Amino acid sequence: MTKDAVQGAAEEADQAQSKKGLKKQQKEAEKAAKKAEKQAKLAADTQSTDEDDFAKDRYGVPQMVQSQQKLDRVLVRVQKLTPEKADQLIWVRARVHTSRAKGKQCFLVLRQQQFNVQALVAVGERASKQMVKFAANINKESIVDVEAMVRKVEQKIESCTQQDVELHIERIFVISQAEPRLPLQLEDCVRPDGEGDEDGRATVNQDTRLDNRVIDLRTTTSQAIFRLQSGVCQLFRDTLTNKGFVEIQTPKIISAASEGGANVFTVSYFKTSAYLAQSPQLYKQMCICADFDKVFCVGPVFRAEDSNTHRHLTEFVGLDIELAFNYHYHEVIESITDTMVQIFKGLRDKFQTEIQTVGKQYPSEPFRFLEPTLRLEYTEGVAMLREAGVDMGDEEDLSTPNEKLLGRLVKEKYDTDFYVLDKYPLAVRPFYTMPDPNDKKYSNSYDMFMRGEEILSGAQRIHDAQLLTERAIHHNIAYFYYVTNTLVAGKIKSYIDSFRYGAPPHGGGGIGLERVCMLYLGLHNVRQVSMFPRDPKRLTP
Amino acid sequence: MPMYQVKPVFGDDIKTDLPTCMYKLPNIHAQRSASGCSEHALQNGTEVDPAFRDLEVRQDKIMRRLNELKAAVDGLAKTVTTPDADLDQTVTSLSQSPTATSFRGTADLDSLLGKDLGALRDIVINANPARPPLTLLVLHAMLCQRYRVLSSVHVHSSVSGVPAQLLSCLGPRHADSYVRQRFQLGFTLIWKDVSKLQMKFSIQNMCPIEGEANVARFLFRLVAPYPSDPALATLVDSWVDTAFFQLAEGSAKERSAVLRALNGALGRDPWLAGPELSLADIACYCCVLQTGPAASSPANVQRWLKACENLGHFGPANPLLQ
Repeated sequence: MTKDAVQGAAEEADQAQSKKGLKKQQKEAEKAAKKAEKQAKLAADTQSTDEDDFAKDRYGVPQMVQSQQKLDRVLVRVQKLTPEKADQLIWVRARVHTSRAKGKQCFLVLRQQQFNVQALVAVGERASKQMVKFAANINKESIVDVEAMVRKVEQKIESCTQQDVELHIERIFVISQAEPRLPLQLEDCVRPDGEGDEDGRATVNQDTRLDNRVIDLRTTTSQAIFRLQSGVCQLFRDTLTNKGFVEIQTPKIISAASEGGANVFTVSYFKTSAYLAQSPQLYKQMCICADFDKVFCVGPVFRAEDSNTHRHLTEFVGLDIELAFNYHYHEVIESITDTMVQIFKGLRDKFQTEIQTVGKQYPSEPFRFLEPTLRLEYTEGVAMLREAGVDMGDEEDLSTPNEKLLGRLVKEKYDTDFYVLDKYPLAVRPFYTMPDPNDKKYSNSYDMFMRGEEILSGAQRIHDAQLLTERAIHHNIAYFYYVTNTLVAGKIKSYIDSFRYGAPPHGGGGIGLERVCMLYLGLHNVRQVSMFPRDPKRLTP
Repeated sequence: MPMYQVKPVFGDDIKTDLPTCMYKLPNIHAQRSASGCSEHALQNGTEVDPAFRDLEVRQDKIMRRLNELKAAVDGLAKTVTTPDADLDQTVTSLSQSPTATSFRGTADLDSLLGKDLGALRDIVINANPARPPLTLLVLHAMLCQRYRVLSSVHVHSSVSGVPAQLLSCLGPRHADSYVRQRFQLGFTLIWKDVSKLQMKFSIQNMCPIEGEANVARFLFRLVAPYPSDPALATLVDSWVDTAFFQLAEGSAKERSAVLRALNGALGRDPWLAGPELSLADIACYCCVLQTGPAASSPANVQRWLKACENLGHFGPANPLLQ
């Protein structure tokens, strides 16, 4: 009975299976049919394209450049594509900024640093339909090698920097492909803030930019900013070298904090720990005592300040100056302000293109200055602030809003964005500042301001070991051990020792490269001017 | 009750001579003694000695004549300093050094410019290097004679370069210039690309002053007050405006008309407004020489130009006129 049942069941199962099987087979057959159709279509298509593609060897993705061969091909810079080169066949390597197909034509914009040019692939005797399709599908930001004829255009191409010519492409090869989805779009990066909000188009916020710095740095604005920054450094070095200064390199791993213990980074140093230098102050001064007379140094400065503001970084580039003077520390002020004025003049005269480019995205007033630089005294500054309604004491330090207000008042009266405030009160300056000879409340120290923000803090330094020790004790700077009136040990002993063997009177100051660039261009955040900025919240890229 | 009586020591018939040079007060015991009334008559002025009155009148007359003589002598002293008077060398040599007393009365800075708040009172002048303001340079020299002035010259970034004489037009730097607090007044000249000359002083209380004529009026008031006679003050103002509008900026026809007017006015008086040098003379001198050399002006004008030069105030303007 069971056998029967089983058999019966088996039969039924068989039947069911066969039904399912039939259905399955049917489906598979359908699928196969569809596939065959597709394949046939593709085959037909490719057949047709193969038939028509006479330009097959004039485009494509060649092998990765692994230095297979050394071609003597001359690549022309996009910057040089002017009407003078009209009707020449040239090779260009650039990035594909945009590509747009329109029927039988494809318009490309090829970009190289700050310059871009329009290029055109059109179906004709040199290019086939497939080539136009290929060009339209190249991913943005890919690097391409293009052989093209330069042609003059009657109507200026407003959207490109090279407005008088366009390229008619004959050969196009993709040297390095970019991924199809970019983390951010370059047009969005360059869009000025206000415009984005109006049209509903996106602007990129700063964190995204900084996370994808490699792409963000390709924009015309970024290129212009960092070229200008390079110019500042160059002018700084040139001006000082012409004045007879010597460039020095100072150590950044030091044993004792110079400016004050709180804001230093600690590093482990074999069995002990050391600090990253907050400023090259001590070593600059030691060089002066070592008879170098006039020194400057360019190097990183590390400040462990937990300030998340628009103008603070934990690591930035410091441009520091120190020089010995003859009789009055104003000689130092004149030297430093003259250097700054030469830098401003150099930027004004040689970097106008870059300044205009930055101004397109971040418009601001051009930077104004006087030569010789305006020098006001601290008491004058306080009087001007009091006249404007601010209540402050004679020996009080200037707060940031007061500094900005004073900057506006000075700008209103003298029309300058750069000035020096001299004779600060002694109480607010570091221990190595020389006090004023006539008035104990004040000191021989000065600050320089650009657009109302401080860029340099400097002073005449104390060059007498005795006075320096007194001031250090007064400030509770370090622990001293005295044995019969001789300073034996202490954290800054080596610093004070350098003045015991004949030290000339000297003074100096230091500026931050990023802050100077930011204020010169009228930008609002120092991270825009630092390539890979470091702040309390950011350690990468 | 009868008390004992003492015989009077002094008889009451003695006459005393009271001095007449002192003033008299009414007798506070007047109720009791009616006999002292006669002495008050002199003080009340009801019966004044006629001889005394004559004396007063004569005194007044003499004082007035003395004042007139003094004025006449002062006027002569001014004309003596001009070379056309027939005088010998000794007198002209006196006039070479700038006379600090050619203006009556110095002005007090605090009353003119407001209370000193501890900051250097800095006058900032923005001028175009293509049109140097000679009048202001002359006034600057006059200011330096009266006050301790810290002068500085700057070049603004809107201008790429200025000739050396414009940089040194305010004279050599003061030895004390590194301490700004030691000066009473600051004079900062900025060579800038401006269409009109502009002066800024107190940004809280004053708007900027535009135009060389107006700035000249401001600076002149720091040196000496305007004449108190309104007619004379208006005359000064009208000559200043003529100088800057018609002489400096006018067409050739307007300029020759002004020179003729100057010639006429200077034929009558040695100076343009009043008996002594005023802002009108300073302004006209600078504008006349800016438009053409001295030799091409009419006779009276040439004589007056020489007189101005002899006063010595116009030294700073000369290097810029060449």
